Amino acid sequence: MRDTYDAAPARQAEPVSFEFRGKAGEWFGIWIVNLLLSIVTLGIYSAWAKVRTKKYFYNHTYVAGRNFDYHATGMQILIGRLIVVAAVVVFQLASSLDPIISLVLILALVVVFPWLIVRSMMFNARMSSFSNVRFNFLGGVGQAFLVFLIYPILTALTLYTTFPLLDRAVKRFSINNHRLGTAKFEMEAPIWPFYKAMLFAALWVLAVGVVAVALTGFQLANLFSLGDVEDDPVAIFTIIGLFYLMFFLAFLPAAFMYQAMTRNVVYNSTELSGGHRFHSNVTTLRLMWIAVSNAVIAAVTLGLMLPWTQVRLANYLANHTYLLPGGSLDDFVGRQVDEGMSVGEAYSDLEGIDVGLPI
Amino acid sequence: MTDRETTYLHIRMKGRAFALHSSREIPCELFVSDSGRAVLTSEDGATVEDVAAEDLDVASPLGSAPRRITFPGGLVFETSDHDAVTQLTGATRGGLLHHYEQFSPRLVGVIAAAVLSVWIIWRYGLDILVTAAIALTPPILVDQIDRGTLKTIDLTMAETSTLDDAERDRVEQIFRTLLDDLPADQREKHDFTLLFRSMPDVGPNAFALPGGTVIMTDQFIEEFPGRDVLAGVLGHELGHVVEQHGLQQTYRSLGVFILIAFLAGDTGPILEDVLLEGSLLLSLSYSRSHETAADEFGLALSHRAGFDPAGLAVFFEKISEMGEGPPEWMSTHPANENRIEAIETFIETLDAP
Repeated sequence: MRDTYDAAPARQAEPVSFEFRGKAGEWFGIWIVNLLLSIVTLGIYSAWAKVRTKKYFYNHTYVAGRNFDYHATGMQILIGRLIVVAAVVVFQLASSLDPIISLVLILALVVVFPWLIVRSMMFNARMSSFSNVRFNFLGGVGQAFLVFLIYPILTALTLYTTFPLLDRAVKRFSINNHRLGTAKFEMEAPIWPFYKAMLFAALWVLAVGVVAVALTGFQLANLFSLGDVEDDPVAIFTIIGLFYLMFFLAFLPAAFMYQAMTRNVVYNSTELSGGHRFHSNVTTLRLMWIAVSNAVIAAVTLGLMLPWTQVRLANYLANHTYLLPGGSLDDFVGRQVDEGMSVGEAYSDLEGIDVGLPI
Repeated sequence: MTDRETTYLHIRMKGRAFALHSSREIPCELFVSDSGRAVLTSEDGATVEDVAAEDLDVASPLGSAPRRITFPGGLVFETSDHDAVTQLTGATRGGLLHHYEQFSPRLVGVIAAAVLSVWIIWRYGLDILVTAAIALTPPILVDQIDRGTLKTIDLTMAETSTLDDAERDRVEQIFRTLLDDLPADQREKHDFTLLFRSMPDVGPNAFALPGGTVIMTDQFIEEFPGRDVLAGVLGHELGHVVEQHGLQQTYRSLGVFILIAFLAGDTGPILEDVLLEGSLLLSLSYSRSHETAADEFGLALSHRAGFDPAGLAVFFEKISEMGEGPPEWMSTHPANENRIEAIETFIETLDAP
């Protein structure tokens, strides 16, 4: 992988930390103006708002004194979105015309889905740059079809016991197909840490479940025997309440736990051609604390503190992510590439699919 | 750069340059002279670029991020000297937006404006959009929606009607009588047809499709054979068709979904959930108001056609004896007792036939 560069240095340079220089107050102003303009323009400005948001976070993220940038224009995003909205309306109307048509359309969407994901990742990568050099994404549609459709089905068939394999495949697909200019990213992670993370997450859910059942006098156990309480509204509300409690105390922290543990593995086993390596040392407890308290703070302030929570998370992640340069960062070179359409990007925005790099 | 009248005042800023497609940092100084030349000099004094200042492309400001100035050949100069760049560009290029984004007490007004505009859009804006969308929908498409939906119903839950011809004719006659009392333009606009299906799992019920197809279950006619009840319920379904409730709800929910989906990045997951749940509850209230409107339409129509409008109330009384529904705020239909009360109040306002 190092053939495009002169010899990699024998010893690794000192690690340099990523740095987020954004300020909560400054970001709040941009965020609230984004929101207002998006609402009064019935969503049209949201395309420009998206660009401003990404640009703000990219521009204020530094490593070794160099920052990132985002280059898409609001108009590009808007055109993609208009195409997708038109497609959704046609899809919606067409599927109410005839049951057969609607079945055919759903099948067609399944086939087009991997293509849309690849286009989305490609657009995102080509619109992003670090130190004036653009990223690129070279993943194939066939590969995406396997990773986003076939593997998930196989994983479900094994009752999710192979989830770590799927997760690693998704991260590998995403990272190994990315380029910074001509330099290649390569992640080679063993599977055991992914299993360990899933095991800890599962244990957490189990432990919270046991404690909750003991504390609520086995009412929680009713969750699984809904049959006899259907007619009693009080019982139904209790169960809905307990369900939310389980979600916030058990499943949400477990998801953060898994994410924190795998993030370190992913960064620590990623290399960029030229001998540049990465390091991440987020701790599970700290990340869980930030994520959960962020959610609570944003909720009780009806979203007004959301910008502050975003800056707080960006700060924490940047401060615990390091680059171990294998040489000078002056030597990346980009290439003229076709920027592509933003249709895939607009589709994943609409569906809320997040397919970027695991940050 | 846009045309500007003022002369350039010896603007000097330090920064770094990157050649096109290169990550190599070149510490540089940009100097814009009175004569309008932009000269980029590297640290060792060598001239890197020398172009007319109006050929520079200055990116608009965003927070305190470094400003990027792109030269005609693709070279990028980056500087944190915000004052110097503002001096160079004047108050143009996204400056107004940047100004309103500054963290200041003024933002309280922005928050209030955002909340207010959500309300205004909810109350008026969506209605206008929905009306426009309905006007743009070709009638052929609406007829086709009827046919498609009917096909799906037949495929999933309906069986052929087992009513005898005499009974069908009787209900059909009531339907025709009601149609005769509709305004002529409404009768021409829709293709009104009454269909009978047996739906044991659905029970006594009637549906209206947007194009004018009304489906009544055998179970309904067996349970409520009275002509006034039949007229009341058929009138109610005709109300849904004439007032285009089906299309309104389809377009409204689609519009809200798209709007919230594209705002999601800016609202964050929690506010998004609040908006989604809130819009769901509000759309239920919307659907309830449609039911009330259809009730009133049905009552007025059956009254005009010579039936006893109290027939509709009979139906809801019988239904509410059968069991209690969910609380009103989480239902698509108003609670039966409220409906009966509203029906009785409305009947009092009708003139004697």
